[in-house]
Amino acid sequence: MTQLAAHEIPAQAADRPLHVTVLIDRCAGCQECVVRCPAGALSMDSGRWVAVADDSLCVGCRQCERTCPFSAITVRGPLAVAARNEPPHSRLEQPTGDNSEVRAGFASWDEALAEASRCLDCPDPTCVRGCPAHNDIPSFIRAVRDRDLVTAHEVIRLTSFLPDVCSRVCDQASQCEGSCTWSLAGGEPVAIGKLERFITDNVPVPAPAKPGPAGSGLSVAVVGSGPAGIGAAWELVEAGAEVTVYERDPEPSGLIGWGIPDFTLPQEVSARPWQQLTAAGVDLRCGTEVTADDVDRLLTEHDAVILAHGAPMPLRMPVPGADLDGVVDASSFLKAGKAALENGDVISLPDSLIGLAEARDGAGCASPLVLVLGAGNTALDVARTARRLGLRAVCVDWVDEHFALARPDELAEAREEGVDIRFLHTVSSLEGEDGRVRRAALIKTRQHRADRRPKTLHEAPEMLDVDLVVMAMGYRLHPALAARLPGTPLAREARGVPDRRWLASGILASPAPEFAHGKPVGRLALGREVALTASSLPLQERLWAAGDALVGPSTVVEAMSQGRRAAAAVISAGPTRGQPRPPRRVLVAYESRTGHTERAARLIADGLRSTDAVVRMVPLREATLPELADTDLLIVGTWVEGMVVGGVRPAAATRSWLAGLPRLAGLRVATFCTFAISPKQTLATMRGELQDHGMVVIAEGAIGPGARSIPRAAERFTGQLLATAWPGPAAG
Amino acid sequence: MAERFGPSDPPSGWDLTRNPRVARLLRSRRFQFLLILPNQLVFWTVIFVGLLGTVVPGLNFGTAITWYIWFCLVFVMMVVVGRAWCAMCPFGGFAEWIQRRTLWQRTQKVLGLGRKFPEPLARYGFLLPVATFLLLTWIEEYFNIAGPGTPSATSWMVVGIVTSALLFFLIFERRTFCRYLCPLSALIGTVGSMGSVAGFRTKDREVCLSCETKDCMRGGEEGFGCPWYTWPASADSNLACGLCSECYKACPSNNIGMYLQKPLTSVIAPTRRRADVAWAVALLWGLVLYQQINALSIYATVDTWLNSHLAFPHYPNPVAYMGLIVALALLTAGVMWTISRVFARKDMTFTVKGNFMERASRFRAYFVPLTYGMIPVVGADYFARQLPKFFQHATRIVPAVQQTLGSQTAIKSPLYQMRLLSNPHIVGVQVTIIAIGTLAAVWSTWKISGREIVPVSRGGAAVRVASLSLVLVFGAVAAMLYVLMNAAD
Repeated sequence: MTQLAAHEIPAQAADRPLHVTVLIDRCAGCQECVVRCPAGALSMDSGRWVAVADDSLCVGCRQCERTCPFSAITVRGPLAVAARNEPPHSRLEQPTGDNSEVRAGFASWDEALAEASRCLDCPDPTCVRGCPAHNDIPSFIRAVRDRDLVTAHEVIRLTSFLPDVCSRVCDQASQCEGSCTWSLAGGEPVAIGKLERFITDNVPVPAPAKPGPAGSGLSVAVVGSGPAGIGAAWELVEAGAEVTVYERDPEPSGLIGWGIPDFTLPQEVSARPWQQLTAAGVDLRCGTEVTADDVDRLLTEHDAVILAHGAPMPLRMPVPGADLDGVVDASSFLKAGKAALENGDVISLPDSLIGLAEARDGAGCASPLVLVLGAGNTALDVARTARRLGLRAVCVDWVDEHFALARPDELAEAREEGVDIRFLHTVSSLEGEDGRVRRAALIKTRQHRADRRPKTLHEAPEMLDVDLVVMAMGYRLHPALAARLPGTPLAREARGVPDRRWLASGILASPAPEFAHGKPVGRLALGREVALTASSLPLQERLWAAGDALVGPSTVVEAMSQGRRAAAAVISAGPTRGQPRPPRRVLVAYESRTGHTERAARLIADGLRSTDAVVRMVPLREATLPELADTDLLIVGTWVEGMVVGGVRPAAATRSWLAGLPRLAGLRVATFCTFAISPKQTLATMRGELQDHGMVVIAEGAIGPGARSIPRAAERFTGQLLATAWPGPAAG
Repeated sequence: MAERFGPSDPPSGWDLTRNPRVARLLRSRRFQFLLILPNQLVFWTVIFVGLLGTVVPGLNFGTAITWYIWFCLVFVMMVVVGRAWCAMCPFGGFAEWIQRRTLWQRTQKVLGLGRKFPEPLARYGFLLPVATFLLLTWIEEYFNIAGPGTPSATSWMVVGIVTSALLFFLIFERRTFCRYLCPLSALIGTVGSMGSVAGFRTKDREVCLSCETKDCMRGGEEGFGCPWYTWPASADSNLACGLCSECYKACPSNNIGMYLQKPLTSVIAPTRRRADVAWAVALLWGLVLYQQINALSIYATVDTWLNSHLAFPHYPNPVAYMGLIVALALLTAGVMWTISRVFARKDMTFTVKGNFMERASRFRAYFVPLTYGMIPVVGADYFARQLPKFFQHATRIVPAVQQTLGSQTAIKSPLYQMRLLSNPHIVGVQVTIIAIGTLAAVWSTWKISGREIVPVSRGGAAVRVASLSLVLVFGAVAAMLYVLMNAAD
């Protein structure tokens, strides 16, 4: 293991040394702080059974403070860490015609090593939780410190296929870097994105590994070649599956191909994944649109289908004049702008934007003005592309800048390049001449909270002469395809009790870090986790979805991770066309009060072990989403509550578990209940609830009455189950 | 670890949750609600009846139930169980319902600011509740609330406690009020450590140490994190276990049980002694002795003399009150300091620097364990102090209830004048209780001194004799004061 590089203590630390106070009264000696302290400053006094701190080793990261369950530790003093090394970006005050990459990576090993040495190599790294792909950040930074970039790539490859892309386009401030322990402590985080980029700048991203045996024989269709499709195809091809990717556009890569300008993501970087994937044998069929009606056909042609078609429909603002010529959507503008810049011809724009050239001619010396509706990342890409095309650009967004969706560094760069960004403004109408847009009426808005819609103010509008209006408020799902996928778009919101391990890590501690511009990094990460888990669950038998198709507009890294996860679920489930295979992974989940249901569950589980399936047995409350995602046959057992006459139904805990289930389309389920006198409608109630969640109930058994009947009834139920789910020799 | 926790760990077979009915009861989220609810009803009745009911204290339900019955019952619960009262307390319970926004459910969002209690105060641990207890007792003496005073005074006292509890529950997290400010917390905690319920403890410490989530501390799916800041895996006494069963509900590994223990285990066995508990015991001892001494005519003379010189209008003079209590506590500490001077080994270093809770010294090496040994005699003294009211007036609860329900003749009830026991029999019972407490203290001190005092002393037998003699003297003083009080009556 790499030894930590010595941490440079800032000058002021000598005057105000760090001091850790362990409140002995409350310290329970649980060692949560001891195991998490990255500096080894905390240890156990086993005599008193309390934690003790060595101030001289403390670096002030305050992980102990954040993770102590009883808030028994306080740290006083400055963060003992060197200043963050940020490579300068190109300042383009006259960007016309310049399509070169704006942001630079570390130019030398010295810069990269200086930054890498700021990483504390935390034992419970919050940055890994903050990264949507869960890259093992401390390990790849450790590899950088070892000057071993090949190992760094190996570490990243475990979780990501797009490090060169993600290091350029991710909003690290609200993800990994926002969750860095230095950031959570109020300081400047390690420049994780820049270190990731340093790795890919210096050693090319390795091609897909040789196909393994896990997916051998599987034929999988992936619809869409954007980040989610790349994630899925990569995982599948490495597993040895036969992968066919259907892409509507003539070129692959989806949004990272046409949607992100070259000055942010150079063409050679965005093209890299598909060059490698096609070379690895992925059958890429560009120019092949898959409609909602085609999905069933694909299911007959392939063992599984992963829908990763993205959210391609631009949102349009319902404003008077929106149908005038010269009002276009962001994707049209970005595609045209990208092509024009690649050709080096900043004046000749394609037909849809031709009016610009006319305006330019008519306006004489003043360059035409592009009004961009929105100030998110896409809108800024539009505005900055416009600047490079020699146009003036004004962005309007009705939100307050404090709640802006764009990356703060991107906002700053756009302003440097001369983009006029007006927050708390919106367009009330567009006016035209001869059918072409000429003026926009701008009105002011007001917004006090991020979760409230801004309100328009009733003031006289400001008129702005415009030559082109680009609607860049975002994208939405294709309605017909979305209707094909029940439950989508899925809300990325963690409800109920937060995962206890996440809570224990301290990432959910408030207040939100300043570096993340007040975004609650932990909550956001937990929300993404909901989507990541959901991507492993089929939406219909043999049909999965990932990326924007599943959750609506999301980021490159989220989409890629979900694509990977869906592909891993496909490989694990190994679905087949035609006759369903006997289940290979059986989960027996039981809710037992006195032990009778548990006993019945054990007898059933033992009975099923005669097959070649892997049988697991867990109490119902432990049958969580990851468990269910890894299951081909679910057996749910419950005790029956209620009086003999009234209120006879599944136990309350079973009912609430059933009600909280996600959609598990096509999952085969068998149910049983143990009862004393009569189960009444217990099994029917369970059947209704399970079918509502898309599951298929293949067997039911009422086991009772009383304890004596359990062995015989359980045997009968097992026999019935074997005959249904394992037709053929196993049933015998 | 065996050395650290072995003496205080209850036997594995003494886990009440092995009984499925107990387990089911404790698993139920309504468990604590159902404990609190009857007390809640009683104490809201106390408030309203105290304010609106008869002004005759003996006939007022508020006065009768609070001072004739409840205070005695709390003591019995302390001595037998531990913090049983805390599990059913309507004051903290009420405030907790509001803080949690629920009567019994496991909610995720709490109401209020959820602040952490400031460390500079929290480091004084159970000394803070002693301070509030001293204050409350002084107020109670000043307004003569318990003795029996006017019923509305009892109501206002209860309103005051509920309001301050609510305030603290809304400002601070968990049961900060109960842990650091409740006037009864230190008394129940220390005297309760004689109790035979160890509280909620780990079944297998290794499982807890390797637990990744610590749901018992942070809160889990089914239960809140410990409101009392106690970790079942490292609890070595029942001192800060509120018996609320939240940890039992929260544990994802079913690794927590509710254990019984031999009486006095939490006095004798804890390996980590706490300075705040030691000083709390000394001050509580000073207070109970004060309450005996103030019944003597000499005290009245001193109090009156001080009042006239300090222009204070009323008994009890605060200088005399605090002066006597602190003097008695310091006297106790002084005797122990003397023992430490005489017996401490010269070849040992005792000094460890640090704040109030952390530091160690030669004096503390004797004072802290010896005060733990005193707990039974202090507890017995408090209990004995409550007995006269119980024996003389407990039966008044029946006419008080009748009066509340509208009876006009309740005062004529024979139960109004009835006495379960009279003097000198009451004194006999008091002295007997003190004798039992003293015996328990002798036993505790014998065990504690053998384990903790002898190894740091020259002349093991002599120091043990000195320690035991001290406890005997304390018992004798308390008993003698009861006899003198009776004579003063």
